[in-house]
Amino acid sequence: MNSGNVILWILGGLLPLCAIAFFLTRNRMTHREVAGLEVFSRPGYYGWLSVIYIAAPAIFVALCFSALGLLHLYQTPLPMFTVGILTAAALGLAASVRLINPEKNARLLVEKWARGLMIFAAGISIMTTIGILLSVLFESIRFFQSVPLWEFITGTRWEADTAFLAGAGRGEEGAAKPHFGAVPIFAGTFMITAIAMLVAIPIGLFSAIYLSEYAPKKVRATVKPMLEVLAGIPTVVYGFFAAITISPLVVQAAHAVGLEADYTNALAPGLVMGVMIIPFISSLSEDVIHAVPQAMRDGSLAMGIGKAETIRHVVLPAAMPGIIAASLLGMSRAIGETMIVVMAAGLRPNLTANPLEGMTTVTVKIVESLTGDQQFDSLLTLSAFALGLVLLFITLALNVISTLVIYRFKKQFALV
Amino acid sequence: MYKHIFTAAFVAIAAFATIQTADAREIRIVGSSTVFPFSSANAEEFGATTRFKTPVVESTGSGGGFKLFCAGDDLNTPDISNASRRMKAKELELCAENGVKGITEAVIGYDGIAVAQSADNAPINLSREEIMLAVAAEVPSKDGKSLVANPYHYWNEINPDLPKRKIVIYGPPASSGTRDAFEDMILKHLTKHMDVYTNLYHADKVKNKAYKKFHKIRQDDVYVPSGENDNLIVQKLTKDKDAFGVFGYSFLEENKDKVSGALINGISPNPETISSGNYPLSRSLYFYIKHSHVGKVDGIQEYANLFMSEKQIGNNGTLLDIGLIALPEADRARYRKQVEELAKLTEGDLKK
Amino acid sequence: MNETFKLDENLLRKRYRAEKRFHAYGIIAIGLALAFILFFFIDVLSKGIPGFQTVQVQVEVDYSQVVADGNYRRVVQKDLVHIASRGWMRTVPMQLRNHPEMIGTKETIWVPAAFRVNQYIKGNEGHGLEQKYQALADELYKQGTIRKAIDWHFFTRGDSKLPEIAGVGASLVGSLVVMFITMILAVPIGVVTAVYLEEFSPDNMLTRTVEVNINNLAAIPSILFGLLGLAIFINFFGVPRSSALAGGMTLALMTLPIIIISTRAALRSVPNSIREGAFGVGASGLQVVWHHVLPLALPGILTGSIIGLAQALGETAPLLIVGMMAFIPEAPLSIYQASTVLPAQIYTWSSDSIRAFGELTAAGVIVLLTIMLMLNGLAIWLRQHTSRTW
Repeated sequence: MNSGNVILWILGGLLPLCAIAFFLTRNRMTHREVAGLEVFSRPGYYGWLSVIYIAAPAIFVALCFSALGLLHLYQTPLPMFTVGILTAAALGLAASVRLINPEKNARLLVEKWARGLMIFAAGISIMTTIGILLSVLFESIRFFQSVPLWEFITGTRWEADTAFLAGAGRGEEGAAKPHFGAVPIFAGTFMITAIAMLVAIPIGLFSAIYLSEYAPKKVRATVKPMLEVLAGIPTVVYGFFAAITISPLVVQAAHAVGLEADYTNALAPGLVMGVMIIPFISSLSEDVIHAVPQAMRDGSLAMGIGKAETIRHVVLPAAMPGIIAASLLGMSRAIGETMIVVMAAGLRPNLTANPLEGMTTVTVKIVESLTGDQQFDSLLTLSAFALGLVLLFITLALNVISTLVIYRFKKQFALV
Repeated sequence: MYKHIFTAAFVAIAAFATIQTADAREIRIVGSSTVFPFSSANAEEFGATTRFKTPVVESTGSGGGFKLFCAGDDLNTPDISNASRRMKAKELELCAENGVKGITEAVIGYDGIAVAQSADNAPINLSREEIMLAVAAEVPSKDGKSLVANPYHYWNEINPDLPKRKIVIYGPPASSGTRDAFEDMILKHLTKHMDVYTNLYHADKVKNKAYKKFHKIRQDDVYVPSGENDNLIVQKLTKDKDAFGVFGYSFLEENKDKVSGALINGISPNPETISSGNYPLSRSLYFYIKHSHVGKVDGIQEYANLFMSEKQIGNNGTLLDIGLIALPEADRARYRKQVEELAKLTEGDLKK
Repeated sequence: MNETFKLDENLLRKRYRAEKRFHAYGIIAIGLALAFILFFFIDVLSKGIPGFQTVQVQVEVDYSQVVADGNYRRVVQKDLVHIASRGWMRTVPMQLRNHPEMIGTKETIWVPAAFRVNQYIKGNEGHGLEQKYQALADELYKQGTIRKAIDWHFFTRGDSKLPEIAGVGASLVGSLVVMFITMILAVPIGVVTAVYLEEFSPDNMLTRTVEVNINNLAAIPSILFGLLGLAIFINFFGVPRSSALAGGMTLALMTLPIIIISTRAALRSVPNSIREGAFGVGASGLQVVWHHVLPLALPGILTGSIIGLAQALGETAPLLIVGMMAFIPEAPLSIYQASTVLPAQIYTWSSDSIRAFGELTAAGVIVLLTIMLMLNGLAIWLRQHTSRTW
């Protein structure tokens, strides 16, 4: 049995059943209420309680069967699976009919379950992180068995060519030792990210200020959604735009002022990526600026302080934690962005401070190593996982720092 | 209002989820991005002209393809894997370990590798040696007695007869099978016979192993690895007149108005010269069939037969229109027979 | 104490100038962004519009026995074999096998022209049509048996290696199915998580870990989500590779942090007095959130969800890993079937060697952008009825 079907059976079989139970129970209680009899909680809560009575045992049974299947202990045949779930649901239904009575504190029970459900939902994000960590960790460990971690983090030479040949099964024919120094790759990532942020933060922030503080309602209603369009443009399209349109423009512009520029320069993907991030920053910043209490503005204006001064000295400081959070969200987008750099940035690891030169990024290298023709256990393929792992840690560090910054800001403005 | 939203959501989810899964699945094909266009064209033809479902062809790279192909024998694994290089003995071993016992190998044709430049430039003739001197990490010094880091930045420094033109080469990245082939045919082909390299190897076989068949490409900005999308290389060539691009013949063929292929040793890349082997830069394209799935998944044999047919890969075959180079007739017949009989690939075959 | 207040004219003028400058910065910022949008859309539209146009040729079809036996090139007059699309011709034998009564009949119909003819008639560079057929195509065009028409089939057909019969239909359906899965998974889970973190969770180490973790998830490169989808959904749970379900679940995990973060921001913007008021009349925590806070935060939640979903709609990288970057010409009939999505389709077309796909790539981009604009339009419509300042 395909365990993917679990979802199908849960959704297709259970949900209608739950819906029926919900409405039946709720109507039962409503009728009582209408008839003037006493009901402890609102009727809707009894409805939800009956849903819990049915869904909980059924989902439990389904999970047990699936766990057996996934651990290769016992493959439950589909009919038995269905019967099992339906039996559990039926028992639950019986229990709900028998046990749900008007004296029960349905609200308390439902809220307990709801809280449990919320914790479970919050747990999914943790499980996602753990999942990602695990899915890169094992391959990374294999990589680091061949390449010392220190060399990987501090090395300035990334020359993986010979690893490919070893991967293609011909390394023993005589290959130089490959070098896996990731510094140039991370340098490229940060260069492109920095360019993107230089574009996105000023434009995004000033757009947000203008839209929330100055713009007439009509302008705001038209411009805001237009900015959001920028976030929705697929990155593949941005990539093409950067490679075909912007990159040659940058080269021409550089020539015009007597500079040399590569066609795979870091400026073009950086600029386009910056444009892509504008709405992340403007939209979220605007929300937080909006959220600053009007009373603070009024107080400032009443003192004879100008509008811009009010914004600079009152509104922005109050909104700063949100703005920082928005910028960091944008920045993490830039670091993790893949398609734009795959198409417009180079593939050559290059340690330089000149944005007109070609350089590569971590995500480009990951895509390159994962979609190449080399043997799948070659060092080059494994390096993708190692790069992913390091990226994971960098973003983690970045976020811990930002959380601390925001916390301090909040304290400063006594928002905690 | 919430009630209605919920009711609607329930109904939608329930209706959506109860769509039943079909049991019979289509053929699953994975592998090289170079073979992908030919394989999917064949898949489409197969779907349109037979009663079978159109196979799903995925472009994963040769290595990724073998990984999926060799992952196991059950029907969740692909039935066919395309490759722009031959399967390695190690990969066959892994296949066998995971229960994939019978595999048939087939060659569909050649892919020529073009060294192209903007069509605005005058035609140019490069020898293999000149290209080697342009891209190798270390080259013989002026007196030819020792190796030095590649000093060349203009073509006329390599050969005074060549124009004074900056050396810029947009070539495949290290992870690409095209790069592998390029190194084989340009670098190794020459360096394994050049004493200045091999002497170093003979002096210290362990430390200087790399010099036995030296094939390291320079890492400065002369050789620019460019991958993923050869159309972008073509675009760059039209803008960057100095540059050369290294990519599959089909892209040269389709963009004749924008780029032209450099003559290699006086021979221009075209289907005749590539097929005959006169044009020195070409490689074979393969696909591999999993025997145990034949009969379990409908149409594998028929798909493979169609792929090997004259109608597809013969001298006037439809796949030639999209850039495949035909094999010589005798080879076609041999591989066709191999596919029809599902000849089993052995480790001995791979060592040949 | 008799010091009078003196107005510093200079300072005042300076302040006014600064005021104006600040205002101007905002307008410049908006102007730059809008200029980019304008430039971008003009660029895309000019490249993509021709892709919606097809070239057709009128042929006299001869449904003979020879054709039914499989020699489909005999279905049209000999000189038109290289003018009419092979993609159409090759389907005729099957059609005749299914409808044997048609054998022996003839009819005159318009069929798609081969893509090289298509490109030649449209006057595109690099059409690659052989000289001898160019003259013929010109002749037929003059006679009126070759015509240009709007390609409605572009929206219904699936992928093809022959550009003249390739369409976005299958990938459009795939995208919608994937989006639907992403939406029903990511939006509820995301909103519930955000509500928990913002309204219920105790302020302790664990909560802060979850918070940092969610910010971190938003930063993780999308391609790593692809690796996760491959490892967990496909390899562990056995969800079929390339299926809409695998893609949708992967994208759901990717969209989740965006939805959580924006929902939290929206919840935070609801003033505390609302909560206190509700608590004051005896509502429970859940009631406060469900009946008062959530409805008020809805506009912000919608904004965030739409940004997240729009991003998922255009996402390509993780789908590459879960096997959706493939030649899949048919629309999925269930969430378990192999399916492709619009951005993946655009990416595969963009890397095809045949030039005619360039037009289709841009046309596909227009379709994708249109869907996105429609999504945004819906969100704006919803938001405009509910937005407020406290």
